[in-house]
Amino acid sequence: MWQTIWFIIRSTIISSAPIGYAALGGVFNERSGVVNIALEGILLVSSFGYVAGAFFGHSAWWGLFWGIMAGLLLSLIHAVATVTFKINHIVSGVALNTIAIGVTRMLSLVMFGQETQSKTNSYTQIFGMDIQWLVALMLFLVIAPLSYWLLFKTSLGLRLRSVGENPEAADSLGISVEKMRYTGVLIGGVIASLGGIALYPTIWQSGISGGRGFIGLASMILGNWMPIRSVLASTMFGFADAIRLLDFVKAYIPDEFLTALPYVLVLVVLAGLIGKARPPRADGVPYVRGE
Amino acid sequence: MPGDIILKMENITKRFPGVLANDHINFDLREGEVHALVGENGAGKSTLMKILYGLYHPDEGTIYIKVDGELKPVKFKNPQDAIKHGIGMVHQHFMLVYGLTTIENIILGYEPSAVIDFDTAKKEIQKIMDESGLHVPLDVDVEVLSVGQQQRVEILKVLYRKAKILILDEPTAVLTPQETDELFNIINRLKEQGHSIIFISHKLHEVMAIADRISVMRKGRLVHTMPKSEATKEKIAELMVGHPVLLDVPRPNVTPGETILEVENLTVESDTKGVMAVDNVSFYIRAGEIYGIAGVEGNGQAELIEAIYGLRPPKGGKITIKGEDITGKPTHVIRKKGVSHIPGDRHKFGVFLPFTLADNSILGHHREENFAKYGIFRKFSNIAQWAREIIKKFDVRTPSEKVPMSALSGGNQQKFVVGREISFEHELMIAAHPTRGVDIGAMEFIYRQLFEEKKQKKAILLVSADLDELLLLSDRIGVMFKGKIIKELDNTSRQVTPKEVGYYMLGGDVEIHEDSDIAGGEQSA
Repeated sequence: MWQTIWFIIRSTIISSAPIGYAALGGVFNERSGVVNIALEGILLVSSFGYVAGAFFGHSAWWGLFWGIMAGLLLSLIHAVATVTFKINHIVSGVALNTIAIGVTRMLSLVMFGQETQSKTNSYTQIFGMDIQWLVALMLFLVIAPLSYWLLFKTSLGLRLRSVGENPEAADSLGISVEKMRYTGVLIGGVIASLGGIALYPTIWQSGISGGRGFIGLASMILGNWMPIRSVLASTMFGFADAIRLLDFVKAYIPDEFLTALPYVLVLVVLAGLIGKARPPRADGVPYVRGE
Repeated sequence: MPGDIILKMENITKRFPGVLANDHINFDLREGEVHALVGENGAGKSTLMKILYGLYHPDEGTIYIKVDGELKPVKFKNPQDAIKHGIGMVHQHFMLVYGLTTIENIILGYEPSAVIDFDTAKKEIQKIMDESGLHVPLDVDVEVLSVGQQQRVEILKVLYRKAKILILDEPTAVLTPQETDELFNIINRLKEQGHSIIFISHKLHEVMAIADRISVMRKGRLVHTMPKSEATKEKIAELMVGHPVLLDVPRPNVTPGETILEVENLTVESDTKGVMAVDNVSFYIRAGEIYGIAGVEGNGQAELIEAIYGLRPPKGGKITIKGEDITGKPTHVIRKKGVSHIPGDRHKFGVFLPFTLADNSILGHHREENFAKYGIFRKFSNIAQWAREIIKKFDVRTPSEKVPMSALSGGNQQKFVVGREISFEHELMIAAHPTRGVDIGAMEFIYRQLFEEKKQKKAILLVSADLDELLLLSDRIGVMFKGKIIKELDNTSRQVTPKEVGYYMLGGDVEIHEDSDIAGGEQSA
């Protein structure tokens, strides 16, 4: 009995982590005024970055490094496109998601000799702990509270939120809108990358992100763009994901239904939120100085 | 008493492509004085102030600021430089970040430390509030504050940055007379504390009430600077426009005829579900009558007009034109029933900026036989003819009807819209903020046109944020507060004072300050 409960809690935490990290990454992006649907792509490339980095670097640390670098690079492209060149945020995000799929498959072919999945990586321990479990726990214990503190208790957070709500006013007070938006996208990118690392450190497969970046965005909306609430919202989807691994659930409910459950939840929850959740006012609006 | 000169702008010149926005301007400011800067739109006031605030760089000329008791030349690369030299600006359109609390707005960009110590910041702000008399709740989202309170936050922001020189850009444009009084009290208090204020306005009675010195700008030049003792409203207006102006347009005497518009128990939902923007409103307008709607913006005026004009479906109630029910009918049907509309936001609802004047001249009537054969093929010569008539009759300054609307100045765009709406057959004219953003000359012209309408026995529904305008034009005034018309005032012989309207604009339960500087009699109308 207790074993089952612990199993559910543990799998919920692990299943929630990629979604929660994506949600938190989304919070930093959108609080600064940049819509980033490339979170999905970030999960995919950072997952690949971890497996490849650890596999060839023979260390989980190299995995961490390359996982974050991969996500950071994708975020940087998004920042350059949307902030510097003021490209439509959705268009850039769609393009990056497509690129992420293509590039990882290509790299997988080059590095592992097959397009759809990597070889098995056995470097999954840090400080003697399973990295997936460690990174997942970190989200709830460290990263989420830290994000709250950063956004609401520091001048950096205040400035970041101000450019997401009213960039013109921020600009009039000497705050560089571009710098702050880059900061938001890049911090968000690093955080989302941790989600990719927590996805499945042993092996990478094409399509492994499975829409968790988008479910992360839904969690962010459900959490009303608040860091801790967004992460908590992700556990609902994580839980739905976790229970399908249970034997007695499997016995009674068809697997197809369970697999679809998180997505159905997203639809139901978002439909119920219409008119209630309030995004940052300048979310997705490029800032052009002047007039 | 005003002291030494602490700011001097010498020979400031700024050119934009095709325009000399500032032409060798000399302007100075003394310690503890209010120096009013007046002029029409496009006279160069904003440009001059943007130069002072570091947003623009002058092509010629020098700014001197008193540093350590001595005037020294300074160059401002950006607003931060200006702020460092003690200059603060309260923008006409508030630069507040909704979604952030008051305290966050005040310290934004000037935070005491990387990890914000809110308690210390709060103490410091509290001290400034006590000294200046500017009290606002600190821990709420600024969005929920009233317009007057938001303005206080703007001033607090400037004071928190330790500004000695305050630029107030049209600060009273959004205030009720009561709030204006309070602002003037605060300005006087700031003066006593040694702050200097540049007060930009085009409301002459306010300038006369608060300024120590007055500078008038016209077409990029500073034409005259004078102490208040030498100024009169007429003199300032003449300097602004370049020729004598009639500030008072005589009201024609018209006996009201039959009822044209009747609104009964109208209820309209706002953008937020379940919240009623217009709440059980009833009134009527007769032929030859101007009915004014007063109210602080956002109290349901916009929704009321949208409901009458068919842009927003009513939740309940009835709207009739000459007895015919038009409730919930689409706009083109309502237009056909004889409703014309001068929209409050002309760029959003009134014109297509990239289209030519000719195209803009037939909007909403483009399918009529006169303009389109079988309602499909445009009759270009008829359309051009029609546009030229509007241009001529309503004195729109444009090279031809073939230029795009965007080529015209705001005042001329507005004259064109007014002309178009008057020219189409109608019984009811809805005029929302008809003179917003236009200069005194065009304003007078539009007033005359509306009075002409009145003489033609049209019914006119006037919504305006400008009280002087409402009192000048309206026969009756309905004051809207939180979606209800809480008071209807008879103004047939112009007996209503701004104070009286202001009292109800704030809900009617706020005390009237009879003892303050500008008493009710001081209306520019």
